[in-house]
Amino acid sequence: MNKAIARIFLVGAILFAALIVNLTYLQVIHARALRDNPLNHRGLAQELKIDRGRILGFNGTPLVISVRKSGFYYRRYPQGSLAAQTIGYDSVALGHSGLEQSMNAVLTGQSNLLGTQSALDRLLGRRPHGADVKLTLVPAVQKVAQQALTGKVGAIVALDPKTGAVIAIASSPTYSLATVDDDWQRLRSDPGAPLLNRATQGLYPPGSSFKVVTAAAGLDKGVVTPTTIFHDTGTYVVYGGKITNYHGEIVGTIDFTRALTYSINTVFAAVGVQIGQNDMVATMMKFGLWQVPPLELPGGSVLASGRYEKGTIVSPEAKLNPLQVAAMAIGQEQLVATPLQMALAAAAVANGGTIMKPYLVQQVIAPNGTVVQSAAPQTWQTAMTPSTAATLNLMMQQVVNSGTGTAAALQGIKVAGKTGTAETSRPGVNQAWFIAFAPADDPKIAICVSIENVSVTGGEVAAPLAAQVMRAALAQPSLP
Amino acid sequence: MKRRTTELVYLIFAGVISTMAYVSVFTGRRGDIKTSSVVYGLIFVAIFLILHAVVRAFLSQADPYLLPLTALLVAIGLTEIYRIDPRYALLQGQWLVVGAVLFIATVLLVRDHERLDGYRYLIGAAGLALLLITIVLGSTVNGSRLWLRFAGFSIQPSEFAKIAIVIFLAGYLNDKKEMLSIPTSHVMGIPLPAPKYFGPLAVMWILSLLMLIFMKDFGTSLLFLAIFVALIYMATSRIVYVVAGGVMFSIGAVVAYHVVGHVQERFQIWIDPWTHAATTGYQLLQSMFAIADGGVLGAGIGRGYLLAGHKPVVPDLQTDFIFAAVANELGLIGAVGLILVYVLFCWRAFRVAIWAPDGFSKLLAAGLATAFGLQTFIIIGGVTRLIPLTGITLPFVSYGGSSITANLMLVALLLMVSHRTAVIRAGSEHERLKLAGIK
Repeated sequence: MNKAIARIFLVGAILFAALIVNLTYLQVIHARALRDNPLNHRGLAQELKIDRGRILGFNGTPLVISVRKSGFYYRRYPQGSLAAQTIGYDSVALGHSGLEQSMNAVLTGQSNLLGTQSALDRLLGRRPHGADVKLTLVPAVQKVAQQALTGKVGAIVALDPKTGAVIAIASSPTYSLATVDDDWQRLRSDPGAPLLNRATQGLYPPGSSFKVVTAAAGLDKGVVTPTTIFHDTGTYVVYGGKITNYHGEIVGTIDFTRALTYSINTVFAAVGVQIGQNDMVATMMKFGLWQVPPLELPGGSVLASGRYEKGTIVSPEAKLNPLQVAAMAIGQEQLVATPLQMALAAAAVANGGTIMKPYLVQQVIAPNGTVVQSAAPQTWQTAMTPSTAATLNLMMQQVVNSGTGTAAALQGIKVAGKTGTAETSRPGVNQAWFIAFAPADDPKIAICVSIENVSVTGGEVAAPLAAQVMRAALAQPSLP
Repeated sequence: MKRRTTELVYLIFAGVISTMAYVSVFTGRRGDIKTSSVVYGLIFVAIFLILHAVVRAFLSQADPYLLPLTALLVAIGLTEIYRIDPRYALLQGQWLVVGAVLFIATVLLVRDHERLDGYRYLIGAAGLALLLITIVLGSTVNGSRLWLRFAGFSIQPSEFAKIAIVIFLAGYLNDKKEMLSIPTSHVMGIPLPAPKYFGPLAVMWILSLLMLIFMKDFGTSLLFLAIFVALIYMATSRIVYVVAGGVMFSIGAVVAYHVVGHVQERFQIWIDPWTHAATTGYQLLQSMFAIADGGVLGAGIGRGYLLAGHKPVVPDLQTDFIFAAVANELGLIGAVGLILVYVLFCWRAFRVAIWAPDGFSKLLAAGLATAFGLQTFIIIGGVTRLIPLTGITLPFVSYGGSSITANLMLVALLLMVSHRTAVIRAGSEHERLKLAGIK
């Protein structure tokens, strides 16, 4: 009997050894995989215990705050959902998006930026306090931009061309950050795609607004001057194809400045072909195309502009025929750009040819009030020479003074701009654009307005909205 | 060192460990819990000192390690329950008092476990009745019908039935062991006892099948059949019963899988919890995530992420899933330590069985040890996804009145067997007379 009892104990010991082996697997070998499993929300839920830092506007206005409710912190939006797609949501069920995601380490107080104090706290098991993130967004201007887009589908990006600070970034339709958990199913299936950040993820054919880039290439390469004379017949024939003017206009003899003022396709197509693919692409790359603009947003939230085929970007070296080059010079031919990229193109002209690195985060402020990180403006790209920029600046002023962009004029302030009305794959449906900067002699704001699915021109629908936002921005006591 | 001195020293050691655990909870959750709760700790110490005194007076030669190991398990459980929800800890403390009273009552009323053998059929019938009452009148919690609601209390009769059935089987099998082990026929060269002796096995099999189908609980059913198979094997040393039991249980399991939806669901969750992450697999996945989070060292008692607000992140954390909480806060080291405490407990219990001078004592102690160890294995294996999850308590650690009171009675019986063994083997004349009730 004793032998049998001992055997039963032995079987039990083996079973318990199996428990220990399995436990070692769970807690040591497989632990990391379990921790990283997307179904595991323990990390996110634990963050609810952290007094997550606030997100402030440029003037210090709280845009996002945390309020404590029975030991947990929840997000509140005192200014409503401003720049929802850019600021992003904070949800246990959905995770984070936008700045809430990219600035998570700072907002939860776990960033190394916040120094050794938080490491000591961690050792002592104290809960970290989140740092505040102060944005460059100016709430008043942001609100005007969002209101301007109400009822439309599109985006507005406004930034300071001298620093790269983003003043406003709006995408419409938008959504409510406060109720994203409840609305999630509807938001995901909404054909208007409110979760999409059209300002940084919307890839649209830039149309005539791209003529600014073509002009910069032509002027830089000495292919044209503002006074070069062209003879327009309403049609430019190249490589067995043809480029025509908007509404089939025929303007006859015209100089390069007036060709930009009235957005004459045949002239820019010819200039593009004259510049040639290599120099066109080289200038486009100097404007930042084929690159992801370095905004402080999570990966995938900002897309590179360039030529796309079937949803993927085509190498800039891909050989093009002259017709394709001509079409590209007027912002067609599979060329797509984000509103952010086109705002940066306007900023390049405004800032003497230099594109500053765009940024959203002005400061990171530790819980004790010290500023642990401040934005330092940096050059991102040199798009053109200062003299080309100065020439183009004057030419773009003519667009607003007497050309296609008169709707963007501001009283007593010089505005430089360029309209765009790009054809889309659907006939009669256009992508309307307006890029601009003001005051033209001392630029404080560069802007891009892009509106989807309209039957009218950029000058008609986009330019007035740009004027509203620029007026609001220039009325501010201070800008970033 | 004398046995009882050893016991006292180890009890003090368990007390020190539980004090440290308590301090860890207190500093970790300062603000969430009250200072007055120190009183609970003192009650705990007092109860085990009283039990020690009772053992000293009546079972002086009993095994000195079982009570301190029990105290350690109870302390770990109370602290962890307290950390999850102080209200449950208060209730558990009250159940501990009830359990201590039942422990003392068992010692005083039974005195010598041999007397239980005389009431074998009565006790067996009582155990059976407890199970049948549960099947008929029980209420369903988490899909299993294991609970009896009675005067505002919920009791889990299977915890007591387990002990009653072990007592019955120990006596019955000890009587019939010779007959059960003599082969009367051969099937394919395998010697088999007379078919009529498979009768008790068939009865237990049907009972466990009924439990499976009506209580819808795989774990309890497996526990009862395994206790029986282990006991019949220990009584007869015949492996054929183990094989037969295994085959019978497998048949039962396959039948149950197709008949009882709850069993099927549990099995599917075990195979693939991921596709049911938001629904039926949620609890098991949260348990695994919490355990994985513990790592090697754990977050420390009172410092792990176990509560979202006042709600445990793993449903039923204080009862069936208490092991996940321990593994999270004490890490691999602490969790393995806890498993080793169970192994030590089982080792002492089996040792009691091996040293016992007679068959009934041996089978009783070994049966209780099997029941205790297997229950521990089933629930720890379940929450760590080694085996399909089934809702039973982790002895002494889980919150639950029936569990803690029944298991304290189990300890009382083990101490009784070990005391009797020591007295018979090397006791004084006075002790022998006292054991015989003559004084």
